[in-house]
Amino acid sequence: MAPARLGLAPPETGRAPGSPRPSRRPDRATILADFGPLGALVLLCLLFGFLSPQFATWGNVRNVLDSASVLAVIAVGLTFVLLLGAIDLSIEGVMATAALSVALLVANSRNDLDFGFMGVLAAVAIGAGFGLASGLLSTGLKIPSFMTTLGMSAIGIGIATVLFGGVQPALRSPELAEWASGQWFGLTRLTYVAVAVVLIGILVQRYTRLGRYARAIGGAEELALLSGIPVRRYKTLAFTFAGATYGLAGVMVTTQLGSGIVQAGVGQNFAAITAAVVGGTLLSGGRGGVLHSIVGVLIVTVLVNGLVLIGVSPYVQGAVQGVIVVAAVVITAWPLRKRLRVVK
Amino acid sequence: MNPDIETVEAEQSPGVPPVLAVRDLRKRFAETTALDGVTFEVRPHEVVGLIGENGAGKSTLLKMLVGLARPDSGTIELRGRRVKMRGIAQAGAAGIGMVFQEQSLIPNLTVAENILLGAEGPAVVGGLYRWRELRRRAQVQLDKIGSEISVDALTESLSFADRQLVEVAKVLATEERTNAEPVVLLDEPTSVLDRDETEVLFAQIERLRTRASVVFVSHRLDEVLRVSDRVYVLRNGRTVAECVPGDVDEATLRKLMIGRDLAGSHYDEERQLPAREAVRLAVRGLTVKGVCDHIDLDLHEGEVVGIAGVQGSGREELCRSLFGALASRSESVTMHGRPLNARSPRAAIASDIGYVPAERRREGMVGSMSVAENITLPHISEVCAGPLLQRRKERALAEEWIERLRIRTPSASAQLGSLSGGNQQKAVLARWLVSDSLRLLILDHPTRGLDVGAKTEVYQLIRDLTADGVSVLLMADSLEELIAMSHRVLVMKDGRVAEIIDAPAGAKPAPLRVLEGMV
Amino acid sequence: MNSTAIRRRRGLAVATIGFAAIALVGCADSGAGGGGGDEAAAATCAPEDIQLIGQVRNETNPYEKSWLDGGDAFAESVGLTQTRLTYDGESPKQQEQLRQAISTGNPECMVLNVLPNGDSDTTPIVKEADAAGAYLVTQWNKPADLNPWDGYDTWISHITFDGVDSGRQIAEAMFEQMGGSGGIIALQGILDTAAAKDRFTGLQEALAENPDIELLDEQTADFDRTTGFEVTKTLITKHGDAIRGVWAANDDMALGALQALEAAGMSDVAVVGIDAVPEAVQAVADGTMTATVSVDGPWQGGVGLAMGYCALTGELDVAGLSNEQRAFFAEQTLINAENAEENLTPKADLEDFECGNLFDRVTGPVS
Repeated sequence: MAPARLGLAPPETGRAPGSPRPSRRPDRATILADFGPLGALVLLCLLFGFLSPQFATWGNVRNVLDSASVLAVIAVGLTFVLLLGAIDLSIEGVMATAALSVALLVANSRNDLDFGFMGVLAAVAIGAGFGLASGLLSTGLKIPSFMTTLGMSAIGIGIATVLFGGVQPALRSPELAEWASGQWFGLTRLTYVAVAVVLIGILVQRYTRLGRYARAIGGAEELALLSGIPVRRYKTLAFTFAGATYGLAGVMVTTQLGSGIVQAGVGQNFAAITAAVVGGTLLSGGRGGVLHSIVGVLIVTVLVNGLVLIGVSPYVQGAVQGVIVVAAVVITAWPLRKRLRVVK
Repeated sequence: MNPDIETVEAEQSPGVPPVLAVRDLRKRFAETTALDGVTFEVRPHEVVGLIGENGAGKSTLLKMLVGLARPDSGTIELRGRRVKMRGIAQAGAAGIGMVFQEQSLIPNLTVAENILLGAEGPAVVGGLYRWRELRRRAQVQLDKIGSEISVDALTESLSFADRQLVEVAKVLATEERTNAEPVVLLDEPTSVLDRDETEVLFAQIERLRTRASVVFVSHRLDEVLRVSDRVYVLRNGRTVAECVPGDVDEATLRKLMIGRDLAGSHYDEERQLPAREAVRLAVRGLTVKGVCDHIDLDLHEGEVVGIAGVQGSGREELCRSLFGALASRSESVTMHGRPLNARSPRAAIASDIGYVPAERRREGMVGSMSVAENITLPHISEVCAGPLLQRRKERALAEEWIERLRIRTPSASAQLGSLSGGNQQKAVLARWLVSDSLRLLILDHPTRGLDVGAKTEVYQLIRDLTADGVSVLLMADSLEELIAMSHRVLVMKDGRVAEIIDAPAGAKPAPLRVLEGMV
Repeated sequence: MNSTAIRRRRGLAVATIGFAAIALVGCADSGAGGGGGDEAAAATCAPEDIQLIGQVRNETNPYEKSWLDGGDAFAESVGLTQTRLTYDGESPKQQEQLRQAISTGNPECMVLNVLPNGDSDTTPIVKEADAAGAYLVTQWNKPADLNPWDGYDTWISHITFDGVDSGRQIAEAMFEQMGGSGGIIALQGILDTAAAKDRFTGLQEALAENPDIELLDEQTADFDRTTGFEVTKTLITKHGDAIRGVWAANDDMALGALQALEAAGMSDVAVVGIDAVPEAVQAVADGTMTATVSVDGPWQGGVGLAMGYCALTGELDVAGLSNEQRAFFAEQTLINAENAEENLTPKADLEDFECGNLFDRVTGPVS
């Protein structure tokens, strides 16, 4: 740096005397967009805590966090894709292949393989491979991610179906069984896995180029190009990272269920996108982040858990969930409505 | 009338009721006071000029007049009746139309659709477009401003200037919807128009005033003085003066806007040092297919070369191709005598070239990212240790540049989009200054949309950079600015270099001299 | 090049449909004439020309896969091969597949053994097969007012299972395991399906007869294993050790519940499901699950084809079948610790597919 270069900056210009000091506080709309979902989460917890004596017990906290762990891992990866302004619909397929792969690579009822935790790593790597393929197809052939990832999902389910071959491989690995039921300090082990992934996600978002560039590309892709950012490389990288998290999520579901099933990821795509958006990660890209998405994941999970605990009839639970999710989004977006944002 | 107003020879015309009267409007956003008591009125058939620095409250005021913002207190009266505007549609129906500074046209619709968007009237029957009627009615509006733009053209295919004209035509369409005479708000309508187009617009304003009242907002004080009957000066959210053009000059207005005298010319011409001997960039036979034809150019160390040319002369394309953002062929491009590889912006940046695009919002910044993040974007490796960003270091670096360039921001982590235009532009410039090794800076209209004070700061910055040996390629909003800032002016016409005119300090060519080569 | 081939083939298909229609008219006439059906049907096809088609949603579901495997076993026994079709649970895809099969093959020598995606999908399938003259057996789903005896000469039969009965059978097995008293939770299927409704009705009937059993909670887990796992975890938090039994409307949910109970360290809870998927049967054999109900997928897959085969070879007189045989509830087997081992690998019993034994498993008319 050359401090001398600009030693002669003009004095006082543009800083009119007596003008109000610029505040350090962001404006109200930004605060609500950032903290509104957190408020909604707290509100939901208070409400359920008031209505159900079991809600605020340690056992239930453990249960909620355990239930949220798979979706949280998915949401961390998905967030980077959403920050780019892209979308990822390959979650179900990637999880299916990862679930079957891990079930067949560790000690299982179908074959004699037993790679232990190397099998887990392999499944995560397979997920990353799917993400890499989605990313390369999207950026190389300039096909919208909507299409490529949808195709990847179909491929993933196809591969999983072949691997399934008619008999579900059940896990026979005592180490993995330990991860399914084991607890540390009162929380399930998978909860810690999710926390670790979330921390990695935050680290990547805040302290690596991937996180920074993902937001820049989602915010203004033209600028990203003009700033010399290798846009295609980082887009592909974001998809790859996301694929790896879906792979891990597939492993986690397999561990929980004790066998590898093709349906391991059914419904997770929609749930993850919903959670991310409820938490404030916008589909238009550039805004939100890992923490936003995690708050969304907790909102969705607490909602499902709480409605069961307070005894809402299963026949109306779906509708009640929908109403509360819409209400949460409305409350969050309310102060932003004046900004004439184009909503698509 | 507000007693606080320092009336400079205010015209007294009692008895004529104003069409639009604004009294003591106030508005606060969080901790920032945007308007702090704005009072002004517009009488029938009058052109009222509105000037003020960026951040003085002009934009907020205009937004309130068309219902895009609500005042905390104060009143807006339209033809003697108090109104509360709720949106552009309602304002249009009441007879207030606005030409936006940020263009409000939809790029993938035709000109005709855009002009009548939301005001199709008889061009839509039973929910169906009647295309012939739509085109006819749109053509009427374009004829009013003597434009030859096709009503069937896609808006995105038009130049920036043509789009501005369409925007004006769109507002003129309001006069047919309201039986009463409309109030037309023009928010810096000339900032992207060239000279001829500006003249057409001024003629249009003259024609318009026979049937409407006009509020004209511009940074160009000469234009404001020329077209306005009266001028209001805003400063810090307050009306501080009301003047009649015949009684004041630009210097007086500038002083009123800023609240103090500017020392000498704000271009700081005396600080223009002679360029150094060494050639930094040598371009031979650069061709961009269909736009630029065999351009030769030498740029010395510490030199500013201004590129003059009308819309479509190829000057933007020349600059973009030098930055690698546009494919081009050339016999040779060398930097310090070595071949320059600038096939992509990434390669250009690696060769120590920086580029500030004209369309700041789309290409120049990420509004949703912080000031610090915007500043470090192209040179992120400077604040990285291995794969990890060092946010403390990044923040320190950003704060250093915020301090040096006097960027007015609540903090380094404030969203860039929330700052005023001038401060945004300073952050965009800081992005390139961060690198020690910057050798060539390409500036595409760096002062567009900035107020006088911010412009001066940009000029100062260019002077400082050249003193430090950086070379600058400049395209500017006005010829005056271009000539004042440049060592030499490269005049482009139809994709070729028409002429190179020397512009040393103290012997600047007249704008007319440069204009001759352009047209 | 391709398109001409397709066009030619389509022309052929139109021609065969024409023939089929004529054959049909002849068939109906002789049927109405009384007793001559055998010869008319026998004349239609040589055994080696018969085309056997089995169609289910997907092969990732062990039950539906075993159904197709049963079809294969039958086809092999008569020296033919079965065309395996899967439509991923998408109704339009199912219709399209059948239309294509009919138009590219010879429908008058064709047997379709179909699992319609939903009740409403059955009507177009029946109409299509009827128009082409292909023999059809449908299973599980059909609208109540659509019946084979309403003028559909080639729709041989509709086979389904009594959900009320299976729901009650597993409930009773569970109650017995629990010693006749205690609290249970119920995991329902997708609420707006007939299967979910009927099975739950069976549970309620059983509950009415066992006043000492308390239904602590009922939730839906969408027939899905992961959802069953999550819902059960939450219900364990809510009711804790009061849960002595879990009634699930299918095995997937039961297996999910089992996993949740295991994670909570609750090993002595009675868990029951329906469908007899291999993992569930294994769990019953291992003693971790109490019971499940088998509808015998391989039998379903084989018997539907066998009915059509026998009709085409003249060994089955469709017109002579009773209404009870043309739409019936089939027998289902409760699998518990006693018979789990032998059901671990469900296999078709070829004896069941002999033309004389086809209707041995009828338990009653579809009411």
